[in-house]
Amino acid sequence: MIDPIEFFGNHTFRMVFLGASVIGLVAGALGSFAYLRKQSLISDVIAHSALPGALLAFLAAVVVFGVNGRNMLGLIFGAVVTGTLAALFANSIAARTKIAIDSAMAISLTAFFGAGMLLLRIISNGPFTGKGGIDDYLFGNASVITIADLATSSAVGAVALILMLVFWKEFALRTFDPGLSTLLGFRSSVIDTLMFVTIVIAIVIGVKAVGVVLMIAFVVTPPAAARQWTSTLPGMVILSGTFGAMGSGVGAYLSVSLGNVPTGPFIVLTLFVIFLISLLASPRRSVIITALRRARARQALRRELLTETTDK
Amino acid sequence: MSFIVGTSLLAVITALACALPGVFVVLRRNSMLVEGIAHAVLPGIVVGYAFTHDLNSPWLIVGAALAGLLVVLANEWLIQTGLLTGDAPQGLVFPALFAAGVILITLDFNHIHLNTHVVLIGDLNLAAFHTLVANGVSIGPSYLYVMLAILVVNVAFIAIFYPKLKVTTFDGQFATVVGMRTKLLNTAFMFLVSVTVVAAFHAAGAILVISLVVVPAATARLISKRLSVMLVVTAFFAVAGALGGFWIAYALNAATSASMALFYGLLFIAVAFIDRLATGFRRRRHRTVSATKAGEKAVSQDHRLARRGSEI
Repeated sequence: MIDPIEFFGNHTFRMVFLGASVIGLVAGALGSFAYLRKQSLISDVIAHSALPGALLAFLAAVVVFGVNGRNMLGLIFGAVVTGTLAALFANSIAARTKIAIDSAMAISLTAFFGAGMLLLRIISNGPFTGKGGIDDYLFGNASVITIADLATSSAVGAVALILMLVFWKEFALRTFDPGLSTLLGFRSSVIDTLMFVTIVIAIVIGVKAVGVVLMIAFVVTPPAAARQWTSTLPGMVILSGTFGAMGSGVGAYLSVSLGNVPTGPFIVLTLFVIFLISLLASPRRSVIITALRRARARQALRRELLTETTDK
Repeated sequence: MSFIVGTSLLAVITALACALPGVFVVLRRNSMLVEGIAHAVLPGIVVGYAFTHDLNSPWLIVGAALAGLLVVLANEWLIQTGLLTGDAPQGLVFPALFAAGVILITLDFNHIHLNTHVVLIGDLNLAAFHTLVANGVSIGPSYLYVMLAILVVNVAFIAIFYPKLKVTTFDGQFATVVGMRTKLLNTAFMFLVSVTVVAAFHAAGAILVISLVVVPAATARLISKRLSVMLVVTAFFAVAGALGGFWIAYALNAATSASMALFYGLLFIAVAFIDRLATGFRRRRHRTVSATKAGEKAVSQDHRLARRGSEI
């Protein structure tokens, strides 16, 4: 184990810790809305489909602009475009054909990801500067986060969080009572698009550090854990963001300390442990509490029935 | 058998073995569960390799398939707790299992030679590399016979349980009421899907195998109204997509499964588009004759009700 002073004294370790925490915070907070709208899995489609966008941005940066292909802003832009397209594509298949949303998501995900893998092959066979390690987009590489990357992803993530705060009421209404929100004159398409874009942003800022394959865990797991502790929307968003940031920070710290363990997958395991603890043992709603409550109710009923029969 | 013929045959057999159970996956709306299975089998494969040292060993395939079944059972259990909402239960377990598999591979657990590319999209050419020789004549890649065996098992399972699969798929409640063991059948079926996914993992990897399972069946779903027809059309699209994808990959020198996934996606879009045009055309023609047909319709209502059991 590395002690904290040494850990935070090291520039790379500090970047890994901060980068992961920012991703966890933003993805956790915004993932709450995906969770409450019962569309958690769309985040898997978005994350996988970010790959071709990130790679196209790399190609555009290297070939057209002649700048560093790993530019975080370019990556985010490209990934947001393809991620949003894939989500819209899946939704439009489900709306226009008799294919249900689960198959629609599978079709969209594999088509975009297949295109991404073909692009990856083209890039690694081609003469592009800075193509080394481009595979990192798949599983992420937290140790290559620079200060500029951290600043960019923090700023973009902050924009998404501010959007959420500004449109808090609209998001909440649309999430819990879509019918009423339409009745009150809110444009559902505008709010939906806005909400989707914030979720897409939360996902793509993690592509560089965590990779497209495991980003779903950052969006799905913290809200599912937070839901077991709270039953208000603000509580959910705050707690989910905290779980995300905490799990990512702790996971990053542990993975660095253990050495030679990839950060992204290790964070996913940490988040899963947080979820398991919440599901099994949260004080208000959890598997253990429910079982206890049921046993107690059964006992009370038995006692009641016994007293009734003895009274007679 | 030459290498190209053997490999393209392997692509076709793998596509068929995956696509036929895919019909029921699509109709039961379990597509994203297959996504989970495909990820979850990774740690099963890594651990199984420690015992067998052979990726084609039947023990490894069945053992790893149990890991995939874990996702199915965990999903059912999580839904049953009533503590989670929407599709989140499907997205919670598989990232953790996949992350565990990635960590095992990175730590070079038992020196399994899988790089991250192969894990995600497989490598058909590598899978086809080891050929069987009988009496001095090459009779194709040995992996071809593994997939052929899986295909036979799948066809036999569907043939034997066809009536039961049909009833549980279209009217689960009815099946339960008449005393069918729907849960057992469902678990057995998902285990078979899991076995198929593990076997195809070699050729198509964790992410793109879902394309082989879901997309041909979804494409067939667009244009078929009867289950038996849908099975045949699915087989047709699977073979067409496998051959098309294989030759595109061959021409581009790219990964076969990635180009197959993209090709399948494009095929789906093309069929959906043509079907829409045809429906529009039919509707326009229908409008002119619908007045005279209105009377006949009421009479045929009873016939249709009687026939409904065999229709989708």
